Amino acid sequence: MVNVTTNAVKQQEKPINMSPFAIARRKFLRNKLAMVSSFFLLAVVIVSVLAPYITTQDITKVNIGSMSLEPGGEHVLGTDKSGRDVFTRLLYGGRISLLVGVTCTFLVILFGTVVGSIAGFYGGFVDGLLMRFTDFVLNFPFLVFVIVLNTILFGLVNGLWVLIGVISLLSWGGVARIVRSKILAEKENEYILAAISIGCKPSKVIVKHLLPNVLSTIIVQATVTFATLIVAESALGFLGFGVPQSIPSWGNMLSASQEADVLRDKPWIWMPPAIILTITILSINFIGEGLKDAFNPKSNR
Amino acid sequence: MNKVETKKGSVQEKGLEKETLLDIQNLKTYYPVKGGFLKRTVAHVKAVDDLSFQIKKGETLGLVGESGCGKSTTGRTILRLLKPTEGKILFEGKDITNISGSQLRKARKDFQMVFQDPYASLNPTQSVGDIVSEPLKNFKKMSKNELKEEVLDLLSRVGLPPEAYHKYGHEFSGGQRQRIGIARALALKPKLIIADEPVSALDVSVQSQVLNLLKELQGEFDLTYLFIAHDLSVVKHMSDRIGVMYLGNLVEIATNESLYAEPLHPYTQALISAIPETDPSKRKNRIVLQGDVPSPQNPPSGCPFHTRCPMAKEECSKIKPALKEVKPGHHVACILY
Repeated sequence: MVNVTTNAVKQQEKPINMSPFAIARRKFLRNKLAMVSSFFLLAVVIVSVLAPYITTQDITKVNIGSMSLEPGGEHVLGTDKSGRDVFTRLLYGGRISLLVGVTCTFLVILFGTVVGSIAGFYGGFVDGLLMRFTDFVLNFPFLVFVIVLNTILFGLVNGLWVLIGVISLLSWGGVARIVRSKILAEKENEYILAAISIGCKPSKVIVKHLLPNVLSTIIVQATVTFATLIVAESALGFLGFGVPQSIPSWGNMLSASQEADVLRDKPWIWMPPAIILTITILSINFIGEGLKDAFNPKSNR
Repeated sequence: MNKVETKKGSVQEKGLEKETLLDIQNLKTYYPVKGGFLKRTVAHVKAVDDLSFQIKKGETLGLVGESGCGKSTTGRTILRLLKPTEGKILFEGKDITNISGSQLRKARKDFQMVFQDPYASLNPTQSVGDIVSEPLKNFKKMSKNELKEEVLDLLSRVGLPPEAYHKYGHEFSGGQRQRIGIARALALKPKLIIADEPVSALDVSVQSQVLNLLKELQGEFDLTYLFIAHDLSVVKHMSDRIGVMYLGNLVEIATNESLYAEPLHPYTQALISAIPETDPSKRKNRIVLQGDVPSPQNPPSGCPFHTRCPMAKEECSKIKPALKEVKPGHHVACILY
C-alpha cells in the first residue's frame, strides 16, 4: 500500500512533455554513486586544468639537491628520483592523461559512429566493405603497432599528438561494430520508412532519426572508451612508449616504479598517480553504469 | 464498425469517370534468399508476383488477403520504399519505377503512407511538432511561424488538440498516435495515400474513429487511397473497389458491391464466408479451406490457389489464369470463368 502511494506521488510530480533524454537525466541525477563519481571526475578535471594556479613548482627541472625526498614540508607529496615535486607533476600529469583520454575518445567515437552508421544504414556491399576494414583494424596488435608508429613518427610531430593519433586510429573498431549493430536493429522500425517516405535524404535519416535513437548506446560506449584509453595511455607511459618523458603524465610517473628500489622503499613516488588513476577509472565506469541505467526504460533506480 | 453509416455510392460514381492516378503493370517484387558460404542468392521469395491494377483519382481501392500474401510489400513497392524486381509503376502517367536519388525524393511529395504500427512509426526522440513539420521542412521554405501554424492546422484537422504540439509520441494512445501519423502523411497534401493496415493495431472502439477520419479527410483533401487490410468488414466500409490477393497474385478485383454480392473466385468465396455474422439465426455455408498457404519461395505451378481450391481441376496446376473481365468492372483470375 505504501508502495502504491509513493508511486502515485512520483507519477504526479513527473512533469509533462518530457523527452526520453529529460527522463534519463532525471534518473541519472537520482543515482548517488554516479553523481559522486561525476563530482570526483569534475574535481580532477578542474584541479588539473587550474594546475598553474595551484602550484608554482617546475615540472621538468632536475634538482639534485632534493632527490627522493619524503612527503612533508615544502613538497606535500615528496619528490621523485630527479628531485621534482610529485604533487606538481601529478596535477600536470592529470592534464595530459585527461587530454589524451578526451581527445582520443572524441576521435574514436566520431570515427566509429560514422563508419558504423553508414555500414548499418546502407547494408549490403557498403556494409561488407566497411566491416571487413574494421576487422582489419581490430586485428592490429595494439601495443606493438603503437610502439612502432610512435618510434617512427617521433621527432617529426609533437610526441603527444602522435600518440593521440595512433591510439585513435587503432581503437575505433569496437565502437563501429556496436553502432552498426544498434543501427541495424533500429532501422527496421517503421519510422525510418516514414522518414524516407516524407523525403528525407539518407544523411538526414541517419543524423536526425537513427543516431538520436542509438545515442544512449554511444554515450555509454564513450565513457567505457574514455576509461580504457586513459588506461592505455598509462600502460604505454609505464612501458616508456607513451608521451615523451619530458611531459609528465600519470603513466610516465608510474614508470618510475619499474625500479625495485622505488617500488619497495619509496611509495610516495608511484602511489599518488596509481591511486588517482584507479579512482578516476572507477568513477568513469560508475558514470557509465549510471548512464546505462538512466537510458534503460526498464530500470527504475 | 458496421454501425458506421456508409456513403460510398456517390464517391464511387465520381471515381469511375475520373482519370487513372496510379497504374501498376506486371509488378513483381522478389526478396532474395542468401545462403551458402559466399552469401549467394540461392532463391527468391516471390512476395509480389505479377500484379496489375489501376487506381482512379478520388477512389479507394481496398487490398485484402491473409498474412504474408504480399499486401504490405505491394504498398511499399508502389511508394518505392522497396525496389521492384520487374514491372512498371505509373503515377499520373509518369514512370516512377526506376527513378532514384533526388528525383525520387521530389516525387515522394505526391504519395504518402500511413503505417500499420502506431508505436513503431513515430520517432521516439521527436516531439509531435517536429514529426508533423518535418515533411514540410523537406519540401517547402517556410518561416517558423508559418510552419507552426500549418502544423497546428493539420493537428486540428486530424482531431488532436494544439497542446499535442510539444508532446512526445509516448504520451499518446494508439489511436492518437495513428492520428499523428495521418497528420504527417497529410502535411504535403499528397494525391495518393497508401494506408497499410492503419487500424489493425488499434482497439475496435478506436478503429471506427480512425476510419471515419480517413473518410472525412478523403473528401476534404481530395485524396486517393490504397487501403490495405486483412479485416474484410473494414475494407468493405472503406473501399469503392476491392482487390483480393493470394500468394503475391491478384485473384479477383471488383467493385465493393459486386464482390460482396457475388464473389467469383473460390478463394474470395472462402474469405467472405469467414466474415462473422451478427445475426445468429442466419446460418450460412462456411467454406473451410484445407491446408496452409504454400511457401512464396516455391509457389505452386499454374494457378497459385489450386493446392487448396475445392473446385480445382487437373489443368489448374498447368495453366496460370490471367485476370479476365467477367462482368463490367469485375475481374477474376480463374479458369472456371
